Amino acid sequence: MKPPILIIVTSTIVLGTMIVLFSSHWLMIWIGFEMNMLAIIPILMKKFNPRAMEASTKYFLTQATASMLLMLGIIINLLYSGHWTISMIPNPVASTVITIALAMKLGLSPFHFWVPEVTQGVSLSSGMILLTWQKIAPLSVLYQISPSINPNLLVTMAATSVLVGGWGGLNQTQLRKILAYSSIAHMGWMAAIMVYNPTLMILNLAIYIMMTLGTFMLFMYNLSTTTLSLSHTWNKSPLIASLILALMLSLGGLPPLSGFIPKWMIIQELTKNDMIVMPTFMAITALLNLYFYMRLMYATALTMFPSANNMKMKWQFESTKKMILLPPLIVASTMLLPLTPMLSIMD
Amino acid sequence: MLKIILPTMMLMPLTWASKPNMIWINTTAYSLLISLISLTYLNQLSDNSQNFSMLFFTDSLSAPLLALTTWLLPLMLMASQFHLSKETLARKKLYITMLILLQLFLIMAFSAMELILFYILFEATLMPTLVIITRWGNQTERLNAGLYFLFYTLVGSLPLLIALLHTQNNLGSLNFLMMQYWTQPLPNSWSSAFLWLACMMAFMVKMPLYGLHLWLPKAHVEAPIAGSMVLAAVLLKLGGYGMMRITTLLGPLTSFMAYPFMMLSLWGMIMTSSICLRQTDLKSLIAYSSVSHMALVIVAVLIQTPWSYMGATALMVAHGLTSSMLFCLANSNYERIHSRTMILARGLQTLLPLMAAWWLLASLTNLALPPTINLIGELFVVVATFSWSNITIALMGTNIIITALYSLYMLITTQRGKYTDHVKSIKPSFTRENALMALHLLPLLLLSLNPKMILGPIY
Repeated sequence: MKPPILIIVTSTIVLGTMIVLFSSHWLMIWIGFEMNMLAIIPILMKKFNPRAMEASTKYFLTQATASMLLMLGIIINLLYSGHWTISMIPNPVASTVITIALAMKLGLSPFHFWVPEVTQGVSLSSGMILLTWQKIAPLSVLYQISPSINPNLLVTMAATSVLVGGWGGLNQTQLRKILAYSSIAHMGWMAAIMVYNPTLMILNLAIYIMMTLGTFMLFMYNLSTTTLSLSHTWNKSPLIASLILALMLSLGGLPPLSGFIPKWMIIQELTKNDMIVMPTFMAITALLNLYFYMRLMYATALTMFPSANNMKMKWQFESTKKMILLPPLIVASTMLLPLTPMLSIMD
Repeated sequence: MLKIILPTMMLMPLTWASKPNMIWINTTAYSLLISLISLTYLNQLSDNSQNFSMLFFTDSLSAPLLALTTWLLPLMLMASQFHLSKETLARKKLYITMLILLQLFLIMAFSAMELILFYILFEATLMPTLVIITRWGNQTERLNAGLYFLFYTLVGSLPLLIALLHTQNNLGSLNFLMMQYWTQPLPNSWSSAFLWLACMMAFMVKMPLYGLHLWLPKAHVEAPIAGSMVLAAVLLKLGGYGMMRITTLLGPLTSFMAYPFMMLSLWGMIMTSSICLRQTDLKSLIAYSSVSHMALVIVAVLIQTPWSYMGATALMVAHGLTSSMLFCLANSNYERIHSRTMILARGLQTLLPLMAAWWLLASLTNLALPPTINLIGELFVVVATFSWSNITIALMGTNIIITALYSLYMLITTQRGKYTDHVKSIKPSFTRENALMALHLLPLLLLSLNPKMILGPIY
């Protein structure tokens, strides 16, 4: 893609999300979503193969449907409350419709079917933007309307998302699909806590974005999209293999890495509100996620040849991918656990 | 506490910055020095604790285990030198870093003052152990072993996290010092039964309890020597230590909730000892013997009498040193014949007589010969269990007999008799190996002179 076009498209994506974040008028939020969606289509279609076309079309259709549902919810809200300001939504029909629309945008179960196929069809960098940046806008709207969302709906969606994210990823070898199912499961965790403490949802989102960005960049370093190509990493760059190990453990939520922070805080918040079965269920199903991350770790870092690369000159050139801020991301994704007491500043 | 934690953390830059021919010497020497610091904590009053900060403390329960952990690191490093000699330098350093990281988490776990900090470090020890078992184990089964190890422990400990957070909401704080004064007796309801289960299952899996022990033979057998040593000696004791700490919260429920686990432990003790009699794999024999000894500790912790706690603590320290020594001996066999089958290397007494002396002493301590601390531990537990219920003496007595049987079986198979023809060409014992065995045995024998150090807080 030519640079000027890339600049225009990327800035429209950013502008769209910013409009959603900064508006208090429902129509502007809807406009922001539409801008975001239309501008990301060229990014999804960076490669001109039929697979990418199909993925972008699926993305467009689901997101357009979700935007229309959002508009429906906004109008119902307008009908019953008489104003366009984003705030609590007293009418249950409107809040349910808006929640469902935003869940479709996020890829929460049972509206998750587009996430694996779209993520698989596009290139790694587009998938990266899809799974990280695109979650910010819907979650910010959900944050703002969180007092009025139907808790049963949200908890059901969270529970099914965690299940789908765990079980769906078990049979995958393609890395983009694995990360898509991981995103569905993490969205489930975020939805679960939204009712009780939306701030923790933002915390989970922040740590999830850092970990996913790091993971995608490490995959892009070797242009690996399958588990098989990831298993060759030890030869080309053993450091990347060790970093993938650390990041996968963090994604799985193992202490003492920072992936454990959101799980710990969410479980704490849920138990404070006397929900015991739900966090137990979610924690146990997160182990399914851990299983396929472990499979990746096994293939990459834990089953290496007995000797290292003996050649003085590597037989291919160094990677020329731009790893933006990769070291700080890796550090932030793995070593933030001792800083957990600082979360009290978020109150 | 920082005087142990910071030097252990700094052992990591020491490994990476050392010259290639100095990595083993540097790390072993400095870790030995750190263990000498931890020995100073053994000098404390039995009913009080030494509180270093808001986060770390030692009392007479955690100090022996802390000393055991720090003592074990130089021994692990000495034991690993041979099988890592063929690896590249970076991988050697990585292995040592994993061992040091594990050591760091273990030290912090044993001295943690707050239960949630203990939980985080308990889970944190899983990660370096997983890497050690899966990456540096020797057979293909190590992949399965790592998976079993990780998932068995995690499924047990995630409910523990939820139970701890729930208890923290009720009690206000999970600090050990305050917990003993703030606990209220648990009501007699289904939900407190589930709370009891959630709290205890993690440690039951870790100990391991007989029905949940499937991960242990796999993990112990597939791990490299340092992994086996640290697993058998320290990680199992983490479960016992956790169980002892958390039973303060669990009120009068333990008296009836413990019955199923007591039955499993008592029966499992005999079962696993009997399996040892039929093992062909040497490391597997020692692994099952660990399950059997730890079943005794579970029984002791669950009946909650003063004598049983003393016995449990003594048994933990004694078993740590004994089984670590047995794994080192098994490894010295493995390095020579590259097989774990016992009958392939018979009659070693003729070829390696000094090693045979170490084998004899290790087997004797394993079968709890007087006056070693193994006997003190077992005896206290047997007596306490007898007072809890008279019939258990039959099971305990049977276990002691079978333990003696398989220890002697192991000794006689590997040491006595005519040597097999193909072991005539093995290398003689290295000084490093003899030093390793001596360093395992000396604390064991010296502690029998003054066992009150390891008898725990009830003495």
